[in-house]
Parts: sequence; structure tokens; C-alpha cells
Amino acid sequence: MNTPDYIAVKATALCCQEPNALLPFGLKSALPDKTLLPSSLRRRSGLTTTMAVTAAMRACQQADADALELPSVFASVGGEIQVTDELCRSLTDINYLISPTQFHNSVHNKTAGYWSILTRCQQPTTAIAAVDDTFAMGVLEAWSQLQQHRGDILLVCYDELWPQYLAAPMGSVAIAIAFVLSMDIEGSHQGLIAKPEIRSKPIKLEQELIELSRSAPAAACIPLLQALRQASYDGFVALNTKGANWATRFRKA
Amino acid sequence: MSHLPTAIPVAVTAYTSVCAAGVGNENLQAALLTNETKLGRLTLFDVAFSTPVGELLTDLPEIKPELNIYDSRNARMALAALNHAPDDLRQTIERAKKRFGGERIGVIIGTSTSGLYETEAAYCQLVERGQLPDDFHFLTRHAYQATPRFLQLELGLFGPCFAISTACSSGAKAIGAGQRLIANGVCDAVLVGGVDTLCRLTLRGFHSLDLVSPNQCQPMDKNRNGINIGEGAGLLLLEKPATANNKCPRILAVGESSDAYHMSSPHPEGYGAELAMTNALLQANLQPSDIDYLNLHATATPINDSVEAKAVFALLGDTLPVSGTKGITGHTLGAAGALEAVIGLLALSHQFIPGTHGLTETDQNCRCRVIKDPITQQSLKTVMSNSFGFGGNNASMIFNHEHT
Repeated sequence: MNTPDYIAVKATALCCQEPNALLPFGLKSALPDKTLLPSSLRRRSGLTTTMAVTAAMRACQQADADALELPSVFASVGGEIQVTDELCRSLTDINYLISPTQFHNSVHNKTAGYWSILTRCQQPTTAIAAVDDTFAMGVLEAWSQLQQHRGDILLVCYDELWPQYLAAPMGSVAIAIAFVLSMDIEGSHQGLIAKPEIRSKPIKLEQELIELSRSAPAAACIPLLQALRQASYDGFVALNTKGANWATRFRKA
Repeated sequence: MSHLPTAIPVAVTAYTSVCAAGVGNENLQAALLTNETKLGRLTLFDVAFSTPVGELLTDLPEIKPELNIYDSRNARMALAALNHAPDDLRQTIERAKKRFGGERIGVIIGTSTSGLYETEAAYCQLVERGQLPDDFHFLTRHAYQATPRFLQLELGLFGPCFAISTACSSGAKAIGAGQRLIANGVCDAVLVGGVDTLCRLTLRGFHSLDLVSPNQCQPMDKNRNGINIGEGAGLLLLEKPATANNKCPRILAVGESSDAYHMSSPHPEGYGAELAMTNALLQANLQPSDIDYLNLHATATPINDSVEAKAVFALLGDTLPVSGTKGITGHTLGAAGALEAVIGLLALSHQFIPGTHGLTETDQNCRCRVIKDPITQQSLKTVMSNSFGFGGNNASMIFNHEHT
């Protein structure tokens, strides 16, 4: 039990609707890019899918990974919150006929579903949610799947802009982050992360980061991204910001 | 995936259920043995069309005041299941807590709509008066993780906790994720399952897709014309295998796959469904002939059932007894995988094969041995159960119970 069960971070890619939101953290992000989607999906994809796909495509390219082969984990607090909001408004009128496309686009695994269609990938894909721990649980689920299935996996954590009457300030900034993670720790990688664990002593985080995570839960990925940018690192990195008790041992030679 | 490593089995040390048949396994078991439908008229809210639903008509327990912000029909349904003493789930979790510690026990719950039922009502006020009610708590009542988080707090657990929401495969995927966390040593026990409550969105959404039957649903029947929606919960405590639980049934594997075809329509050749079942067999290290009974997804829409039958016939042939139980409970969506896991475990425990309520004449295009009436006094050892959802999201579980 002494081996920390490391997995490799092969690639990471951020997508953010506000180009400057992550600059204070020393991170650059891509803008959501609808042209990555085939025209048939472009119309109905919405911000969540566009952002998640932008980040996922870039991470796959960077890792030189074939998306067709990758199982995937999609982690988001609200998922298709804008579609759900619109449907809930429509449902107040008992005679309103809701759109069948909007209905199937309201499921939490909509982005996971479109990603599999887009990449023709028949590997398992899952869609999870855990409020403040969404990123941490996403990393845990991806780590856990790798232990069983070996190979590589795609992890995407994202939330779109939310109507602010639901849970302000959550959803006031939209961020998507994608990782390609791998059991192959000998190949080229950006750093190694161990089994996520609960730490009895929370890790101290910058107030700015805690604030941003309240608006964009996927921002909990920032400490890990910052660690990956260091030339060398050996220590624990926080995976959540509220409580900051989920962490992973991170190593970069 | 052809070299999928064998999964490490986990023990199911307690399991319980809530559905239109009532609270607790004994009600579900009785309905399965008599093959009696529990579907009826919708009373929770109004819709502009008629369809039988699997609504739970029993009063649900109240959420304790300190957890009031988690109060929803979904949470209450989960609590009803947890509190049902004869199924011994709460007591088994308490014992596991003493043995392993609360931080070693995870909670993973599947749901498709979580507390949406309450949000829909709150939106009436939003639309009329421009603001949501003061007691509206989106993150703790509606959000997907509301019910697993409620269960974690109710039980005083501190391990990993999250929701899986992959539409109608959610409950089955939660069982798979729980099995992995134990196999990888992250947890010693995981409370897994699925909980979903009736709401306007799913009834009117499936109706807009023309998938809701105005009559009693007829899985695998030549005249089937759509689903009946239900609500319910299936909760299971998974534990690492040990001598103390070697008489308990085992989850051998949960095979998963994607159709990569369409958001709300299955691949016409059933490739995704077949791949999920194949992966389950590979991970369980079993041959098709090792399966003694298959609980079908069988929603009773024309396309879903014919596609599933194609996949089952291709992989498992036409002698394996199969049946679909949604004519009794309704399709409980995100809870279906977990509720039907409980049905599979009941079949193993009581050695019977459930029937297919609503089936009169099997569709000749469904080349499977569909069981119409329950058969008792079987010798079942290994049972498979299918769950397929929107987004082409498929899961197939395998359970095993050696009676010595």
C-alpha cells in the first residue's frame, strides 16, 4: 500500500468565455469554438457543449490521443442548466408542448452523449456532479476507472453561465477544463498525480481562487494547473476549494 | 476493450427499494411474484394527457429539521428506503461505520432529475411574481448531488460522495462506480443506488417524443406502443469481500459502453447494448452460457425493445430466460438500474424468474425467450440486468449468489 498509485497528466486544456478571467492565476484559456462542432450539432449544442468540446479537443490534440479510443468522465454541477431553466418556465403552462430536442438536451449527460457521437467513441462515458467537490470527484472517478481499465482517459470539468436567481454567484463565470490522464507513467507527461485523498488538514488557498470557485466550480482545477506549470514539484495539491480537504500528491521531476 | 481486466467482485450486504409497489423489498417481491401491475393514475400534479404512472402513494418520512434545506421528494424517497427496518440497510451501514469508519464509506447515487419536481413548482412563482420562493434551495434540493449529499449527512459518512446522472443508466453506473472505489481501495464500503421522482419534465418530455403510452405498457409485445413512467429508489450497500459476508450476493461486474449514434434513439443494430453486455461478461470473466436470467431494460417503446432483443439474441441466444419488469413498477428512469438490481438480487435470493407484466404476445422480431409469467423454484446463480439511457449511455450488470 506504500506505492501512491500515480497516474500521468498527459495534457490539459482550458476554455473560458472571458479571455482574461484566468490571467491573474497565470493561466491562458481558449475561447469557446463552435467551429469544432459539425454544423449538425452547432445549432443545438449551447455553451456547455461548445466549451467542453473545445477543451476536450485541444487536450486530445496536445496528448496526441485518438478520441475514438478514450473513455471519458464529464463532471459538472449544473450541466444543462440553461435548457432546464427554459423548460421549467415552459412547464408552468400545462398546455405548452415542450420541444423533444430540448428535452433530450436537458439531460446531464448531454455533453457526454454529443462527445461520443462527435468522436464516434463507443467507450464508456459518464456524467457526474458533486457541488463544491465536482472537480475532486471527477479526478477520483477518472483515477478509479484507470486503475480498472488501464490505458488513457479523458476528464472534462465544466459549468456554463447560470441564471443568477438559482444559486448566485455560482455560474457567473463559465470555465471548462479537460485533462488526458494515463496509466502510462513512463511515457511523456506533464506531471504525476496519486490517488485523491481526504486530508485532515486543509490546504491554504488564495482568497482570489476561493472567490472564483464560488462563481465557476471548475476553477478548483487551478492549483493542479499551477503545479503542472512548475519546473519541479513534490507535494500535495488541493482538488477542491471549499474546505480544501480533497487533495492529491503531485510529483514532477 | 477486448482485453478488459477482470473486475474484483464486491459483496452486497444490504439492499432495499421503494417503488409504486410500496416501501421495502417485501412489497416489490410480492408484486413480482403475482406479476401484478402497480401502475395507476397520476395524482402528484396535472398533465394534459392520460397515461398510467408508477407513483408511490405511501406517505413519505419527514427530513429532520437540521437537514431541512435538503428536503425534496427525492430525498424523502431515499429516506423511506433507508428507514425500512426489515431490509436492514441503515443498521448495516451503522455496523460498517463502526468497522471501517465514516471516512471509508462512500455514497454514489444515480438520478436523472433529482429535486426537479420541487423546482417546477417554484418556477410557477418565478413566472408569476418574478422571484423564486424564499425557501428555494437549488443546490441542496434540485442539484443532482442533493440526494447523495443528504444521505451522507443523514448517515454521518465522510468518504467520497457524488451523483451520476446519465439518464436511464444512472443507477447502474452508480453501482459500477461504487464497485471500482472498493476494488481500488479508496473505500471499504459504498452506499450506491438510484433515486428518481415523478416530475412534469419527464412526463411531458417523453410525451413530446411520442414515447409515452396512454395505456398499460407492454414490454416486448407485438402491440407495444410506449413507456409508463414511474418513480422509486434502489439502495445497496457494497462492501469489500470478507469471510463475514461470504453468504451475501456479489456484484461481479458492470459493463459500460456508448452507442455514439443519437441522443434519444438507440443504435438500430443494438451495437452499444451488445458491447455493454460483452464488457460485463469480460469483466466478470464469464461466458454467455453462465448467465441464468436477464432482466431486460425493455421500456416497451417499439424501437428500444426491438434493438435490445437484437443485441440479446446476438450475444446470449434464444434459450436464456429474459423478462422486463417495467409493466409492474413503471420506468423509474435514473433509479431503474438500481431498482432492477434489487429485482435481480431478489430473484437470486428467492430463486424465481420475474414475469413480464403487460406482455400478451411476444413480437416475432424479438427473438428472445421472453418470460410472461413468473417461474418459481429455479436454480439461479448468475443474473444480468440491462439499463440503457439517452445519449446512448449503456450499462449491463452481473450479480452472483452461490447458495451453499
